[in-house]
This record gives sequence, C-alpha cells and structure tokens, in this order.
Amino acid sequence: MDIKHLELLANENRKRIVQMIYKAKAGHPGGSLSVIDILTAIYEMDVDFSSEKRSKVVLSKGHAVPAQYAVLASKGIISEEELGTFRQVNSRLQGHPHALDIKEVDATTGLLGQGLSIAVGMALVKKHEHENNHVYAILGDGEMQEGQIWESLLQASHYKLNNLIVILDYNKLSSSGPVNEVINLEPIVDKFKAFSFHTIHIDGNDMQQVVNALNEAYTIIDRPIAIIADTIKGKGVSFMENNPKWHSGALLDEEYETAMRDLERAKEEIQ
Amino acid sequence: MDYDMISIREKIGEILCEYGANDKRIYVIDSDLAKSTTSAKFRDKFPDRFVETGIAETSAMSIASGIASEGQIPFYVNFAMFVSGTAWTQLRQAAYANLNVKLIATHPGMDDGPDGASHHANEDIALVRTIPNLKVLIPSNIKELRQAIKIAIETDGPVYIRAARDVVPNVDLEQNAELGKSIIVDDQGNDFALIYEGTATAVAYKAYDALKEKGYKGKLINIFSVKPMDVDLINNLASTVKGIVTLENHSILGGLGGAIAEILAQRPNHAKLAYVGVPDVFTESGKSADVKAKYGLNVDNVVSKVEEVLS
Repeated sequence: MDIKHLELLANENRKRIVQMIYKAKAGHPGGSLSVIDILTAIYEMDVDFSSEKRSKVVLSKGHAVPAQYAVLASKGIISEEELGTFRQVNSRLQGHPHALDIKEVDATTGLLGQGLSIAVGMALVKKHEHENNHVYAILGDGEMQEGQIWESLLQASHYKLNNLIVILDYNKLSSSGPVNEVINLEPIVDKFKAFSFHTIHIDGNDMQQVVNALNEAYTIIDRPIAIIADTIKGKGVSFMENNPKWHSGALLDEEYETAMRDLERAKEEIQ
Repeated sequence: MDYDMISIREKIGEILCEYGANDKRIYVIDSDLAKSTTSAKFRDKFPDRFVETGIAETSAMSIASGIASEGQIPFYVNFAMFVSGTAWTQLRQAAYANLNVKLIATHPGMDDGPDGASHHANEDIALVRTIPNLKVLIPSNIKELRQAIKIAIETDGPVYIRAARDVVPNVDLEQNAELGKSIIVDDQGNDFALIYEGTATAVAYKAYDALKEKGYKGKLINIFSVKPMDVDLINNLASTVKGIVTLENHSILGGLGGAIAEILAQRPNHAKLAYVGVPDVFTESGKSADVKAKYGLNVDNVVSKVEEVLS
C-alpha cells in the first residue's frame, strides 16, 4: 500500500468531514476526525464494492458517520454535492448510519454498543459460507462502557471469529470528558487479551501503523482480532485536537476557515 | 365445540426444522432456552445454522440483524419478555433497517404462570406494535403457527410471532391465516363481536360457548394479524354489531384492545367497546390458569363484559 496516497485520501476525507459538519451546523467532528485514517485504510485495502460477497464495515460508533460518508464520497458512491445535505430533511445522509438509505452503508447503527453484535452476526454467516473476507467493527472508547459490547466479545471469542476485526478508536474522550474518568476502561488491551483476542496496539493516526496492523490481522487464523488504536480526538484540526468540546458541535465561519487552512497545510506537508 | 388442548410452543422447533430443511437461509438463534422454546430440535438437526448466544438477549437480537444483513433469515426464539422488552432498542434498530429478523416470542402474557410477574409479558404487544416496519402475528393453533412462520419467511422485513406456551384448543380451522387478515371463527349474528388474540383462545372459545348458551348471537373473531390490522373488518364490525369485547392475554393498555379502540375512536359512531385483559397492575406467581383467572382472563368476566356492552 502506498502510504502517502492513503494519507492524502485521509486528508481529503478530513476536509469533507469539516465541510459536512460546518454546512449542517451539527455533527460530531472529534470522533470523525480521530477515526478517519483507519476508515480510509480499511475501505482502500479491503472493501470491494463491485463484489457481492465483500468485506463489511460496521461503524458501531455511528455518530462518526461523517467519516463514513466522506470515505463513500471518495469512492464515488456519494456525490460531493450530496455531502452538503447531511442531517437535512429529505437527505439520504442521516445523522447516524442507516443502511436502508445507502446500500453501501453496511449496518444501521447509532445506538451505542450494538454494532459489534451485528458484526458478530455477519462474521458467523461469512464463516459458515466460507467467504474469504472480513467484518470490521469500529468501536468508540465511550461505548466500551455498554454491557452489550462485552456480551458480543464473549460470543466473538467463543466462535473463534478469525474473520472479525474489532478496531477501538481510543481517542480517550467522550461526551463529558476523559473517558477513563467517566468510567475507567484500563487495562483495555489486557481485557481484549483476556477475551482471547489477538491484540495489536498502534497509533491509529499513523497510516503506516494502521496498514501494518491490518496486514497482521489478515494473517490470524484462530481467533478474532482487536486493534487498539490510540488516536487523537479532532486530529488534524488544531483547535479541536484533544478538546472534548468538539465531541459534537457546529463550527463558526472563522473556525471553519482555520480548520480548512490547517488541513491544507497538512496536505502540503504530506506532499 | 369439542377439542383437546395443545401448546403451540411444543411445535416451534419442529416447524422450523420443516422449513429449515428446504431453505438454507433459515438460522435459529437461542439464548440458553432452547429446551423451553423447543428450538433445540433445530439445533440437533442443523447445528451449523443454530447460533447459541448464551444469556445475552440484547446481543442476540443484534446478531440476528447481522445474520439478516448477510442475506439469511434468522429466527430469534425466546421468551416474549426478552425479545420484546429486554432487547427493545435492538429490535427497533432491526426494524429501522427493515431487516429480515424474525422473532418467535414464547411464554407471552401470563403463560409462564409460576415464574411470576417478572416473567409475565403483559406488555409485549404494546411494545412491538408501535415499531414501524414490524409485523405482528398471533397464531391461535398449530396450523396458524405454521402459516405465521411461512408468512414470516415470505415477508420482507421483521416479523414478531407471539406463540402461546399455555394450551390452546387443538383445532384446524378451514380459513387460512393471512398477513393483514383476521379470522372469523364463528358468526351467529350481530349481538356482539368477541375479538381475541391467539394466546387467549382457550378462554375465548369457552366464553363464546357460554354466551351462545345464554342465547346471544354474536361473532367470534381471531385477530391473528395485530399489525397490519384488518381495519376493514374492524370498521365493518363497528357498524354492524351492537357491542365489541376484546380479549387478550396482555395488559388492557396498548395491546389488542387499545389497537381496536384506535380504529373505533376515529368513527363518528361505533359499537360500544369493552376490554378483557390484565388491568394496569403487576401479576403474581401461580398456575397459569389460576393467574389468568385472577387477573381477568376468565369466562365470567368475558360474559359480563359482553352483557355490559349490550345493556
């Protein structure tokens, strides 16, 4: 994989996220920006929309849906123009993923804690059908506090779902502040290990590490995989980084301009 | 009428096996109650299409969504309390996505008598009939259970089947069960219509016979399809019979009676309406028949409600 190419795609997707939320005057920029490197890599490396039996992506942290729409726009599935309808009446681009509206959105999510179970259901069928592809469950750290997550971790491990790749977008901030002050998740890697997952701990905003982790995940044959990705909430936009205020919110005109300048500068640095 | 009694629940696993033999899309999901719900029969026959989740109902419901997303037809078979109440938001998400998730809800109403009020699903109809896209069917005998499962397989989208654990009259009616249609079990005249849901069939039959003996000429209606409801039939009854009594193994709030009232209330004139069901209280442990008798599901109550609407 050409890392620079992926980084540029992710940079474009970041711009789409900021534009979407700016235009909608609502949305969740922080968690969309933290997860976008991972999502960009997964869709580029392993999701082939031309194939009927393909890898699936369940965005369990559904509030990061601007990231998903941005990637689908980069794939030509959603037009740039349509991105401007996000969260508006009569749009297909709902505030949380709705699979009925866009068939390339693989799961209807938004109520936290449910997506991993959906991914387990998909992975069970794919294993039964001997499909040679993967199911990705993208989890937020805050939703690790949901009980259903731990039910599905037990089930994934019980059924040795080696086609299931769980990715924890560990940006360490949830709605009201530091996630581990709300309810402590640590030691989180050990917890995945204790549930018999193959664990990979990376910097989820370092594209090379993301690609390496996915390539490692594809080699695991006897158990489900958990990639614990340390990320920065709001990554790429200076005033949003690590600021819980940007979990959810609208951008003022000058904030939008600063954000786009930050991202343009980042693009030049990649090039 | 002469008939013996049978529990609909006893045939669930068997019928799922019949359909599962020919249709490889059918999966069955269980949360550690396969023996109680009889889905164990499917497990023994098709272990690779049987998913045991352990005692984890919310995850089980979302797993059903995942299985359906892959083009399969999952039947999640579990107690009505768990598939309606425990996993309600998960069910709602499945319906929001219009996924092919099928529920078979056993032990509805007070059918799990001895376990007590914690296990009495007297609110499940109210919980599920408000969810868009979700169809709600209640078979009153084995033939209708088989037809309900067939409808569920053939209907695109989520379907909830409420299946009695307590005994119901073991009869085969001529009329076939259809989505959106009720079944006129007997029609003697226009004094009253007794409209019941399948898990209250035993009381419905006895009460209807008692009313006949008292000289009333009415109609006995098995609602079968709670959603979509046979609105034309209900409207027709509203203008032809003198009184309507609904009978349900469920709270009188938000269930069958509530659904009928929603239709009648939109008419300028309609037959008088009375409800038989559980009042707005929690029940208690006891033999299913005893609990039902104590909490309103008894012949005398039905007869007196019919006489009340006729007075």
